Amino acid sequence: MTDLTRRKMLGVAAAGAVTSLSTSVEAAAPGAPATPPAPNPLPNENDLRLFVALSSVLTGIAVLKMAPTVDPIQVRFDYFNAASADPGFPALLQIIRNDPNPESAANKVMNDPKLKYLGRSIILAWYLGVWYDPKTLERYNGPGDQAFPVPPVKVISPTAYTQGWTWRVAQAHPMGYSELRYGYWHNEPLPLDEYIKIVS
Amino acid sequence: MRNLHLLVVSVGGALGVVGLLTWSASAQVPAGSTPADDKINPPVSNCNTIPDTDRKTPATATPITEDLLTSGQPCQQNVSPTGLVTSGPGPGMANLQRGFDFYSWLTFIAMNSPADGKVIGHGPRPGGDARTKWEDLQNYRPLADVMLSNGDRPIWGTRNVPDLCKPHDGPGKMIFQLGEEAFNQPFKTGPLIDQDGNYALFDILMNQPMFDFIVDKGLYSRQGQRQVDGDIQFPSGNSPGKDKDGKDIQGHMGAIMLKVSYRILDPVKNANLLSQFHTSDALIYFPGPPATKTGPACVEKKLGLVGFHVGHKTKFAPQWVWTSFEHVSNAPDAADVASGNLLPRYNFFSAACKTNCPVKNDTPPQPPPWDPDESLKFKGEYRSQVIREKLIPGFVLKEVADLNTPFRALLKGTVWENYMLLATQWPSDNGSHTDPLGAPAPTYLANTTLETYSQGKIPLASSSCMACHGNATTHHVPATPSDFTFILEKAQEAKKAQ
Repeated sequence: MTDLTRRKMLGVAAAGAVTSLSTSVEAAAPGAPATPPAPNPLPNENDLRLFVALSSVLTGIAVLKMAPTVDPIQVRFDYFNAASADPGFPALLQIIRNDPNPESAANKVMNDPKLKYLGRSIILAWYLGVWYDPKTLERYNGPGDQAFPVPPVKVISPTAYTQGWTWRVAQAHPMGYSELRYGYWHNEPLPLDEYIKIVS
Repeated sequence: MRNLHLLVVSVGGALGVVGLLTWSASAQVPAGSTPADDKINPPVSNCNTIPDTDRKTPATATPITEDLLTSGQPCQQNVSPTGLVTSGPGPGMANLQRGFDFYSWLTFIAMNSPADGKVIGHGPRPGGDARTKWEDLQNYRPLADVMLSNGDRPIWGTRNVPDLCKPHDGPGKMIFQLGEEAFNQPFKTGPLIDQDGNYALFDILMNQPMFDFIVDKGLYSRQGQRQVDGDIQFPSGNSPGKDKDGKDIQGHMGAIMLKVSYRILDPVKNANLLSQFHTSDALIYFPGPPATKTGPACVEKKLGLVGFHVGHKTKFAPQWVWTSFEHVSNAPDAADVASGNLLPRYNFFSAACKTNCPVKNDTPPQPPPWDPDESLKFKGEYRSQVIREKLIPGFVLKEVADLNTPFRALLKGTVWENYMLLATQWPSDNGSHTDPLGAPAPTYLANTTLETYSQGKIPLASSSCMACHGNATTHHVPATPSDFTFILEKAQEAKKAQ
């Protein structure tokens, strides 16, 4: 059974994110953020809250960072909409609706032989801003060469392109976009603690 | 390798929230200002500190009554995450946004009040129009009076009238010096052409604290900028209050810059429109090459205000607060075009055009250069076909519309009822080191007359006041950030020793 502790999940997600980093952007670039996604109807507020709580357990990123009290960016809507397009999403939603404990709900998702790929897609979405089709992840979930070439991916939205947590973990920024002040490249990156606060 | 266990709220994020939470409290005032600060940024005795609600629970909206017309200009925002909105996703942000938008309306009223001290809308011209405070050279100076062509030190209070304009000069005439930034949109993306075929014109102005800071630091010439080490930090506005020791703190206005846009109004052909616009009688000066393709020349035009964009640096908003107003008949919203709910006439959109219309929000088909000649008429039949794209979240659009209605009603019967707030962009995480832009809210904001061609939602490419101005630099070598203003880029080489 999968041991879904925050430590283990973050390790898995971070490793996945880092190994994907060099390829995902390249793979995404040709069709990258050309136009914003068509507006979707606002998700049910409670479902969105449960989705963020689940995402927090899966990624190790605090809920308040994913959905700050004052949040003009609101990338969680993009990720929710991306995930909700998957056929497995109603089942995932049912699990998190029925289980008030996000850690326990996340364990159920990640131990479900089908839903665990959707869970992985959600992790990758938060870290990379890219949507990997769970079916593709399942197909590529083999040892050795089966993991290559890089599976097709889609940048979820222009906002998602800039908001991947990988960039913050790496103290970096996506190609072509940085909020830092002019001349930042002349200086050492800001300390990791400025991007994320680490609790051991 | 570091072992990450849990990512939690960053220090910057936490400080940002704390800053927001304390904006409405007495903690909003800065530590005591120094004598040097007061010389450039003098104390202001009448800062408008009226908030948008009574700050009680449950909150009641501040009545929008005639009292607000004479309540003065805010020295900073007075906002709170608690207020009228108590449910739904992000009530804190919604309440802060409303507070900033209320601040913007107070700012608009104060700056557009008559220069002679009368109440807004009570001037002698059609529609109660009058020369405004920002058009009075004792209050604001245009860019051309600050960044002089020879890099000279500018002098506050000196009205620079080019020789060619002197024969046409008279009381109340505005001197408008043409340069590329006066007809071309940011990043040289093209001119805006009204439905009469005239160029829209743009001007940039600043208040005295901003002017004095530029003079004091020698930033009016490129040589002066190269000699400045360290960060450029324009003075901030703050409301009066108490410091942490209970000592009284005086208010200060801080640096304010203003960008306005105009359409040309023909006194005869457009006579029926004059009571719908704030107008200025301008002497438009073409300095000649290299600033303008033609000239030197001076032509007289009546200008109607179509856009009004204020940047105000304030405490807890080191990224400045960005207010954007427009004339209501500039262009329809995309939704209005889709539904056919259109006005009979727009300044920059033809509702009558059904076939072979210009591409919406597109630059003229002719290749650059687009420099106007002294007629200020665009060559050919091209007219801009501008649509206001939906960039702002729905809850902000509704809140702004709900605020515009009573403020415009308050100004009914005057030219000022024809102006609407688009929104205010403000830093939602003002202390962040990893995002020095401060996580602008809303993320995108565009004035259809000033950022016509960059409406959209593409990071870095689409119009965002803070994200754009965050890229502004000085002429220092290597270039350094210029504190969110492109004004310093307009400095010229001094021709003599400074």
